[in-house]
Amino acid sequence: MSRKMSFGGVLILVLLGAIVSGCIGGEKTTTPTTTEQVTLTWLSTQLNPPEERAFVQEQLLTEFKDQTGIEVNFIPISYSDMATRLEAEEQTGEVTINLIADLHGGLDFFASKGWLEDLSGKTLEGRTFISTFEKYATIGGKKVYIPWMSATYVMVVNKKAFEYLPDGLTQEDVMKGTEKWTYDALLEWAKNLKEATGQPQLGFPAGPKGLLHRFLHGYIYPSFTGYQAKNFDSPEAVEMWKYLRDLWQYVNPASTTWDAMGEPLLRGEVLIAWDHTARIKNAIETNPDQFVVVPVPRGPKGRGFILVVAGLAIPKGAPNADEAWKLIDYLTKPETQVKILENVGFFPTVQEATGAIPSGPLKILAEGVAAQSATPDAVVAMIPNLGEKGGQFTNAYRTAFERIVLKGEDPEAVVKELGPQVRKLFEEMGQEIP
Amino acid sequence: MKIKSSYLPYFLVLPAFAYLLFFVGYPLVQALYIAFTQNGQLSLATVRKTFADPYFWEALKYTIALAGVIVPSQVGLALILALGVNRVFKGKDFTIYALTIPLTISDVAAGLIWYSMLSPSGFLNKLLLNIGIINNPIYFFGYQYRHMEFLAIVLAELWRATSIVFVIILAGLQMISREYLEAAEVFGADYWTRLKKIVIPLLKPSIQSALIIRTLFAMQIFGIVWILAGRDIPILAGEGFYRLTELKEYDVASIYALVIAGLSILLGALYIKFMKAEYLEVKR
Repeated sequence: MSRKMSFGGVLILVLLGAIVSGCIGGEKTTTPTTTEQVTLTWLSTQLNPPEERAFVQEQLLTEFKDQTGIEVNFIPISYSDMATRLEAEEQTGEVTINLIADLHGGLDFFASKGWLEDLSGKTLEGRTFISTFEKYATIGGKKVYIPWMSATYVMVVNKKAFEYLPDGLTQEDVMKGTEKWTYDALLEWAKNLKEATGQPQLGFPAGPKGLLHRFLHGYIYPSFTGYQAKNFDSPEAVEMWKYLRDLWQYVNPASTTWDAMGEPLLRGEVLIAWDHTARIKNAIETNPDQFVVVPVPRGPKGRGFILVVAGLAIPKGAPNADEAWKLIDYLTKPETQVKILENVGFFPTVQEATGAIPSGPLKILAEGVAAQSATPDAVVAMIPNLGEKGGQFTNAYRTAFERIVLKGEDPEAVVKELGPQVRKLFEEMGQEIP
Repeated sequence: MKIKSSYLPYFLVLPAFAYLLFFVGYPLVQALYIAFTQNGQLSLATVRKTFADPYFWEALKYTIALAGVIVPSQVGLALILALGVNRVFKGKDFTIYALTIPLTISDVAAGLIWYSMLSPSGFLNKLLLNIGIINNPIYFFGYQYRHMEFLAIVLAELWRATSIVFVIILAGLQMISREYLEAAEVFGADYWTRLKKIVIPLLKPSIQSALIIRTLFAMQIFGIVWILAGRDIPILAGEGFYRLTELKEYDVASIYALVIAGLSILLGALYIKFMKAEYLEVKR
């Protein structure tokens, strides 16, 4: 398929080349003058679904053009295509990309190859980036990208569930994410709920397209073992799997068929659920009075959670770097960030924007996300950037889950078998094991 | 422009041929290439990898099991319904319309409808709880309840796809000349004898078409299983999709696609070979 596409692409390029050289070949542009229209090329692995793309093109970029007169060509692209194109342009020295948007892992990789401009000296007025994001954006002493949008996975609690809290745990503890809000407390709570209501009330997106694997490698593994993958087959991990097996008695069995938790929460099939913010947004928007978003519990090694950060970076040698910087400036303005949250559900990376969110469902989400980010015992996990091997990485966790929790196999034997496979993926990609 | 009439048929077939070549032939060759080569070399590594995965065998088992339960039930049910409707009674047209309504609903939509009916807080459980037949809801979904998921899939498929078989069989029934039946009646054949000796043999072509269509579709069963059971009940099309979209294993996904294609061809050939249609006029 991609073979055919690239052939088509080449054909189009050849045709375009013929047209361009034939028509305006004589007066090929060298230095952009002030009157000339600048068109920026912006490659993005984010906001690619059609409706999000439409939002970028029709709202964000139209407004940007109105303000600055700069045209932007927004090109949604897959990570591997972006990497290939960037590498080709950097190696031939003919850079045409002005701006790239990608997740932290991808940008980290591009930076390690030396393909990104150092943005250290530049400043953006009137905004304070959340320090965690600022920290991750600085790689090897260089500021390689500007944090743009973030997302995470949280817990949603139906307020009814607070009636069944276990002894010693208060609603305040859960909402703020205190020391007492632990995985053991969650187990107690889930048990109470099942005994009181006669049905398991905890839910996870464990269906084939659900994101349970993110919970496994980014939440419960770091919470119990301190790492996502490094201690995959440690004794702590075995303890963790035993815990999860206990917990699963109080998890709605239909979880294995659920891809997103919004609907089960709305149908009242579960009172507590864990999922990606984007996948529970509809529940909170439909019934903002019924649900609260809370930080995840903590484990023996801290409160593990995933931060998804998308950043904006300028490739080394990009033409029109000043105009590209203007676009970065526009995209990180608090107003723009709130607009992005309202339309596509990605969270702001600047503090001023968090304050600017109008009250309502989004505020509930943003507060939960902020409370989680602000917990002092945070063990932040970034989704490893394994490219094509990403599927195999997540599949290892899902396989462990199926074999240990669903099929009842011995946890020690399973993790001993899968651990080396997980570590090998990182070795093959030449990356440190997180 | 005049085209020599002997070339005309070829011209007329050309678009269909081009379509098949492009949308069936090309992907098929591509799938074969992806599945049986590695780094440009002929290799059986992917085949071995696929066959070593327990999911493959489970998927094969469940796909065949589902087809084995669903297809005969559908044909039986459709035959009963068609025989019931194939007589003159008030509200006949309405009954036929009502029976064919599920034809208009996609498998994913049907899956969602049945999901909400069978969920613990769904219609069925509420009904049974209210009339006091059960005290706790019946669980249909979840890995622990795979046999119930299997049942839910069978129910949903019967509801959704029996109508296509029904339509084919009813059309077949209506083509049977009343003369045969009247003649048999004159000679004193009762209803069962007429059914066995005349109706069923004459229906064979219709039953054959219905069986082929349904069995081939059963090999590709996907949406309904995906909605109702996820990967709790692995099926060939579902596993191929999962391998392709989640694991990016294009080679393994190709094997799944080829297995589905192979099974379909094999089953189609078996039906045609062993279910020779009989025509009373020919068989003397």
